Amino acid sequence: MNNNLNSFVVADSSKCIGCKACEIACFAVHNKNNNVGCTVGTVETAVIPRLYLVKTPSVTMPIQCRQCEDAPCAKSCSVGAIRQIDNTIVVDQKKCIGCKNCIMACPFGAIDLLPQYDNGKEVVQFNLKEESHNGLEEIVKSTAYKCDLCIDNGEQACIKTCPNNALRLVKPLDEKKYKNKKAAQALMNTTKNYKQL
Amino acid sequence: MSIINIDKELCTGCRRCANVCPVGAIKGEQGKVQTIDEHKCVVCGQCVQICSSYASQFDTEITSIDLKLKERGMLEGTKEPLFAAYNMGQVDLLKKYLSDDNKYKIVQCAPAVRVALAEEFGMEFGKLTPGKMASALKKLNFDRVYDTNFAADLTIMEEGSELIKRVTEGKNLPMFTSCCPAWVKFAETEYPEILNHLSSCKSPQQMAGTIFKTYGAEIDNIDPSTILSVAVMPCTCKQFECDREEINSSGYKDVDIVITTRELAYLIKDMGIDFINIDDEEFDKPLGEYSGAGTIFGSTGGVMEAALRTGYELITKKSIPNIDLKFVRGGQGLRTATVEVGDLNLNIAIVSGLKNVIPVIESIKEGKCDFHFIEVMTCPEGCVSGGGQPKLLIEEHRDVAYKKRKESIYDHDSNLKIRKSHENPAIKKLYDEFLKEPLGHKSHHLLHTNYVSRKEI
Ligand code: SF4
Ligand code: SF4
Ligand code: SF4
Ligand code: SF4
Repeated sequence: MNNNLNSFVVADSSKCIGCKACEIACFAVHNKNNNVGCTVGTVETAVIPRLYLVKTPSVTMPIQCRQCEDAPCAKSCSVGAIRQIDNTIVVDQKKCIGCKNCIMACPFGAIDLLPQYDNGKEVVQFNLKEESHNGLEEIVKSTAYKCDLCIDNGEQACIKTCPNNALRLVKPLDEKKYKNKKAAQALMNTTKNYKQL
Repeated sequence: MSIINIDKELCTGCRRCANVCPVGAIKGEQGKVQTIDEHKCVVCGQCVQICSSYASQFDTEITSIDLKLKERGMLEGTKEPLFAAYNMGQVDLLKKYLSDDNKYKIVQCAPAVRVALAEEFGMEFGKLTPGKMASALKKLNFDRVYDTNFAADLTIMEEGSELIKRVTEGKNLPMFTSCCPAWVKFAETEYPEILNHLSSCKSPQQMAGTIFKTYGAEIDNIDPSTILSVAVMPCTCKQFECDREEINSSGYKDVDIVITTRELAYLIKDMGIDFINIDDEEFDKPLGEYSGAGTIFGSTGGVMEAALRTGYELITKKSIPNIDLKFVRGGQGLRTATVEVGDLNLNIAIVSGLKNVIPVIESIKEGKCDFHFIEVMTCPEGCVSGGGQPKLLIEEHRDVAYKKRKESIYDHDSNLKIRKSHENPAIKKLYDEFLKEPLGHKSHHLLHTNYVSRKEI
């Protein structure tokens, strides 16, 4: 049986300085379809990152998806828009109907529902219009956004960009093995000079 | 409002800005809103380049983006994200003037603008687009599209002659370049005792402004009081420079409005100009003609190289054996060399990054400095990395972008037919018809300036 647990990115709050460079980088690499190039001037849409800097009096660090094994967001999605691909939980924005179930289900607040853009323009709702003074108006389609570990790029933009190396990719099994080894080493050190009574 | 500001609502107190500030002007505790000490700040805009804390469109607790655009002097409808550290823009003001047909609107563009502007339209780093830029500026309703590169050539004529004079007389050596206004402000603020070592030459921007409102007005037969002189610059400090009180020897303010490379991009987008597909046009003549030497001013070492190309030939009366002076290029904070110019061994130094100039200044004060000529640029790679240049979204791109912009500058130079300032025909004509000779009476009055101590006592 495959026991390859999903990896995820975590921030070390003692290192994070709260600069939001990770948010900007995440946005930049996910918006090539919106003509976002390398400089700020190429950005014509709202900045939508997939990790969120949290700043409270006691902690500063970004929060993002844990790529849960039994992904509650996926389970809650009524149209099957959330799937696991290559050990990563991914939203299919074409399928997403904006029902917000995933937002309710995610225990970390790692999913957001925001306007969808294509070719730098807001995508409008198909078949649903809004009553206004000027008659029926088009509504912007919203869609779910979440960290996809930069699945299309092969390397996590946030980790690469953080100026303070506050972010890292956790590989749970490696983590476990590493801890096992350390525990074994520690035990050996304590028992090495220990004579049985 | 100062030129460089930090938006209290957006600053997260990460202090990345404080880390790049060359003069320690940014004050505040980690995690708290930062403030800028205006007296110390040299307006280089490096903090503007690094700041990554942006205003989220979905944050309802902050002032609306539309209001922020207004406060920052930006154009209504600009779509790009706004960051905590920013420079006060002039583009909104300029847009109003552009439709005023009672003004004779002249624009100049610094060398580093044409190697970076295209990045704001999604083209690759360092893409060289002088023709598209000239064409876009004409569409923006400027009456004359001239060039700072032309004035860079003029600067070489004056500054080169000044150096030769100082070396011959053995006076006020070493001589520092004075093209970088942030460096000038720094010297005035921290080291007024060495101000007599700065070249008295105005920067190319200011030389251009003066010439436009005197000679330029004459050749176009217009009243200089109707001229609106605009500069497009890679640098946020150029606005500070153009507002200096003493810079008005044409009888008017030499340069009226400065916008940055980024602001020119806003304007082009606002007017719906298709920059990527626009056909090339030429700069207007004669004040838009330039040599390769004028072009390389945009990179660290460029002023030095341009000065050596001309200085060598003026002194030796011989053609310089190798025009590409690769030993002054490169990226270290301090580069030095000894160049044989006829019988003279000229000791030169090139400084990029203000902190690297401090040891040099200290050695002058101790009487231990044996350089003749020193180029100083505040920004890490010279003007290509200026505070008004396109801002990068991802830190990892910084080195690549600066490298490509530099390469492009040197490519432009090597592809130009005329590569020495004193061979620029428009410069020769300007001296023949108007200025007469470098360091002459008229040049002295129009093209040279003096400095003031800004030291707090
Ligand atoms: S791993 Fe990629 S998708 Fe996930 S938060 Fe980082 S940059 Fe965004
Ligand atoms: S880039 Fe690094 S330091 Fe900056 S906010 Fe993100 S995690 Fe924190
Ligand atoms: S101005 Fe920007 S770079 Fe400076 S501390 Fe504030 S958020 Fe950070
Ligand atoms: S503009 Fe330059 S000198 Fe002024 S605060 Fe910013 S980095 Fe420092």
